[in-house]
Amino acid sequence: MVHVTPFLSVFVPSVTVVFLTAFTLYIIRLIKGPSVPDIVLAIDCLSFDLAVFMALLSIFYGTPYLVFGSILLALWAFLLDIFVAKYLLRRGLSE
Amino acid sequence: MEPLINILMSVSVPKWVEWVVLYVGASLVALGALCDLLGALGLLRFPNFFVRMHAATVGTIGGAVVPLIGIGLIALVADELGPYRVAVALTSFITAGVIMIVAPVGVHALAYATRRSEVVKVEPKVIDVLELRLKEREGGGED
Repeated sequence: MVHVTPFLSVFVPSVTVVFLTAFTLYIIRLIKGPSVPDIVLAIDCLSFDLAVFMALLSIFYGTPYLVFGSILLALWAFLLDIFVAKYLLRRGLSE
Repeated sequence: MEPLINILMSVSVPKWVEWVVLYVGASLVALGALCDLLGALGLLRFPNFFVRMHAATVGTIGGAVVPLIGIGLIALVADELGPYRVAVALTSFITAGVIMIVAPVGVHALAYATRRSEVVKVEPKVIDVLELRLKEREGGGED
């Protein structure tokens, strides 16, 4: 096994900068989003990237407890997709 | 019968293989971060929802599945995680697989619902098979 802390203490902050920039751009789209599907798409990307970020923090701090939430976050984003799709379909077809 | 986790924990490989796994995982994470940034830029700059779905695919598959596999590889050789390293690695791989299945399904459902409910206009349109089929069905009903 390898002591990864010296490597990760340089690597993770530099990757985090890129991830946080992407988060900011997603949040701008989330606020600007002209229609409901755009907002849901932005929330989708944001949730999946948050799952990645939690796993990254988990290996950075060397604790296993953060990584287990990421799978629930991914499934929650899927649930939101299906729910909004069902809502849009029912609203559109009833007219 | 020994538990599977103990067998996985007791696997020992040469030192250089572990360094290679660490750097392959780190390069996957870096590639995923780059894909994430490009996907976010595309989501911000593209004109409407149906075009933005392409950027969203780069942001989810390239920006979430690839770095999760990289994180799993890093966790597999991390000494700091101690007995939990296999658990963290397997959870990362499972999450990557779940996102691989779930993201396209969700975006397909969302795209179909958006097209049917006509919330967003289909802007760069070459051919719209769903519209033709619906029109055909309505025409057949009237005859």
